[in-house]
Amino acid sequence: MIAQRVGTTALRRVAGKPNAFITANNLARSLSTSQTRPVATQKISADEARAILDKQRLQRPVSPHLDIYDKQQTWFGGSIWQRFTGSAFSGGLYAFGIAYLAAPALGWHLESSSLIAAFGALPAAVKASVKFLAAWPFVFHAFNGVRHLTLDLGYGMARQTIVKGGWYVWGASFVGGLALALFY
Amino acid sequence: MASIARSSLLRQVASAPKSAVATKPAFQKSIIANAARATAFHTTARRPLLPPLPQKVEGTVNDAAPVPPTDPSHGSYHWTFDRLVAASLVPITLTPFAAGSVHPVLDATLCATLLIHSHTGFQNIIVDYVPKYRVPRARKAFSWGLNAATVVVGLALYQYETNDIGLTETIKRIWKA
Repeated sequence: MIAQRVGTTALRRVAGKPNAFITANNLARSLSTSQTRPVATQKISADEARAILDKQRLQRPVSPHLDIYDKQQTWFGGSIWQRFTGSAFSGGLYAFGIAYLAAPALGWHLESSSLIAAFGALPAAVKASVKFLAAWPFVFHAFNGVRHLTLDLGYGMARQTIVKGGWYVWGASFVGGLALALFY
Repeated sequence: MASIARSSLLRQVASAPKSAVATKPAFQKSIIANAARATAFHTTARRPLLPPLPQKVEGTVNDAAPVPPTDPSHGSYHWTFDRLVAASLVPITLTPFAAGSVHPVLDATLCATLLIHSHTGFQNIIVDYVPKYRVPRARKAFSWGLNAATVVVGLALYQYETNDIGLTETIKRIWKA
């Protein structure tokens, strides 16, 4: 018994049963050379079609969340910390400038003499902490800024150099910040 | 005989849906079913930072993408200018450390350069995080707010430099206090 014959026998058996798909009519249609597509279509206007497309496009995936990226690159790569430290200093400068102009009207004392006296009155530990919190971002921004300028010139673009350079800047900024806070 | 006996026609018959062919067009299926099917392909959780904007095509799909008007300032000049300002801050910042004292002109130069550096830095942040296509009015408000703040801070630094002891000397005395 050859395989083809088994197929046709089975087919005949199936065709004998009442089945919605394999009817004599359908079978004849599938064996004929002309194409039929048993899919219902409906007429819609161009505007409706576009509205459907607009709705479909909303189902497309959006950019992934920041969490999926390598933590070492996104959080400790130095690039975003350049922005954090820089905006902290610039924000401080802007806040001080605006407050300094507003001080006479508000009765505040932001002249250098009162600032120096106020800071001098703090306990030594607080002074050292505040100095470190100012010195570390300063040294970081300075070192990392030079590093970024070097990268901008196209030097040190090897992957390992970038990774190592980032960690050197972290280490150097902590050492430099501590030195400025404690020994100056 | 089992495997050779199964002709492809038989397999088709076996796998065909009993109730004929799906007559519903794809777009009529529920959105939820589509979303569930799509999420099966995602390996990470769906946590969009911002929901997508209306995905409408302006004009027709056959229109060419609009070309923005060209302007000389659209080049990389502002980028180079940013770098020059940043690089010039290195010697200006180091000189007081090395020399131990500050000339008022150098201190004024430091303040002016810091102001430009801060302004362009804030500009970059606004351009990055307040996109024009998503929040056009907020973008305008932030940009003009920054311009106003920079003018005010410039005035304040001028006042501080002319009436007080200057930026470098203030930091030095606070540090030694």
